[in-house]
Amino acid sequence: MSEHDKIRELLALAAADALTSAEEKQVAEHVRSCIACSNELWAWRPIASELRRLPTPQPSSWLVQATLARAEAKLAEQAEHDWNRRVMIVLVAFAWLLTIASWPVFHFVSGRFGSSLEPQFSHTWISFAAFTALGWLAGGVAAVMLAIRQRGERRLA
Amino acid sequence: MAVDADVVRLRRGDLNALSELITRYQNRLYRYLLRIVRQPAEAEDLFQQTWLRVVEKIRSFDASRNFDAWLFTLARNLAIDHLRRIRPQSLDEPLANSWHSETVADRISCKDHTPLDHALAAERRTGISEAMARLPMMYREVLTLRFEDEMKIEEIAQVTAVPVSTVKSRLRRSLEQLRYALEAR
Repeated sequence: MSEHDKIRELLALAAADALTSAEEKQVAEHVRSCIACSNELWAWRPIASELRRLPTPQPSSWLVQATLARAEAKLAEQAEHDWNRRVMIVLVAFAWLLTIASWPVFHFVSGRFGSSLEPQFSHTWISFAAFTALGWLAGGVAAVMLAIRQRGERRLA
Repeated sequence: MAVDADVVRLRRGDLNALSELITRYQNRLYRYLLRIVRQPAEAEDLFQQTWLRVVEKIRSFDASRNFDAWLFTLARNLAIDHLRRIRPQSLDEPLANSWHSETVADRISCKDHTPLDHALAAERRTGISEAMARLPMMYREVLTLRFEDEMKIEEIAQVTAVPVSTVKSRLRRSLEQLRYALEAR
């Protein structure tokens, strides 16, 4: 491809101000000595100019208000979601703490605090494990049911 | 790059910041969507969806990035998904019937003075608008981002997720096709 052809390909981009400084320099030097390319560049100018002056279609004020209202609802929903997540984290941490702390308390109350240091599969331990598992299972089922309900509500909203 | 104060406030859940951002970008964003989908009702729906997506994703937005490019990328992804669902052929081919409508706001924004100037300018713009509407989506997009939004080539590359060389190539081809269409009128 000759220098002339290369420059000719750059002319549309020159009208769009989309050339690098090196390319701009090349084009400027070439069009000074090439009337065909100079004319071609001038042919691109009005097109670029009209494109820059096309009227801007504007959204209606109703659209902007409706968008804001929906976005506000979304922000509120997100804030509620964040709050629920924080509460859930605190509750889970508290539940773990309570479970761990209840072991020595449970043994102390049942008069077997000393034996907790040497755990055995006694009747007390099995009862305690069953009670804990039941508690966690009930909590899990409640959490799943709550999540399903919230998802249903969100879908309806 | 300076971090946009409204973006920072929106990340904290400030609704007023969102209002400021919508006001600031409403014309540019709506025009961009309208140029892509060509149907005002669809552009309006996508406009709302874009801002809802902004609210949803603002916390994952890297504040050191360009918010304009991020916003237009979200809008673009939604618009392309929409076109894929509704009119997949429109992503590659021009429409047989061009879309063009001049609103009251368009006429008010006209800067020409005499009635003759006004008429001639309106005719030229109608021609350009109609010719542009017939171009494939990728070409319409690059033209509106470069000439109407005055984005730099690098920013357009960010929005469209293609290399700078591809943006330049699309820009050149879109201008050539536009000129050809204008000369054929």
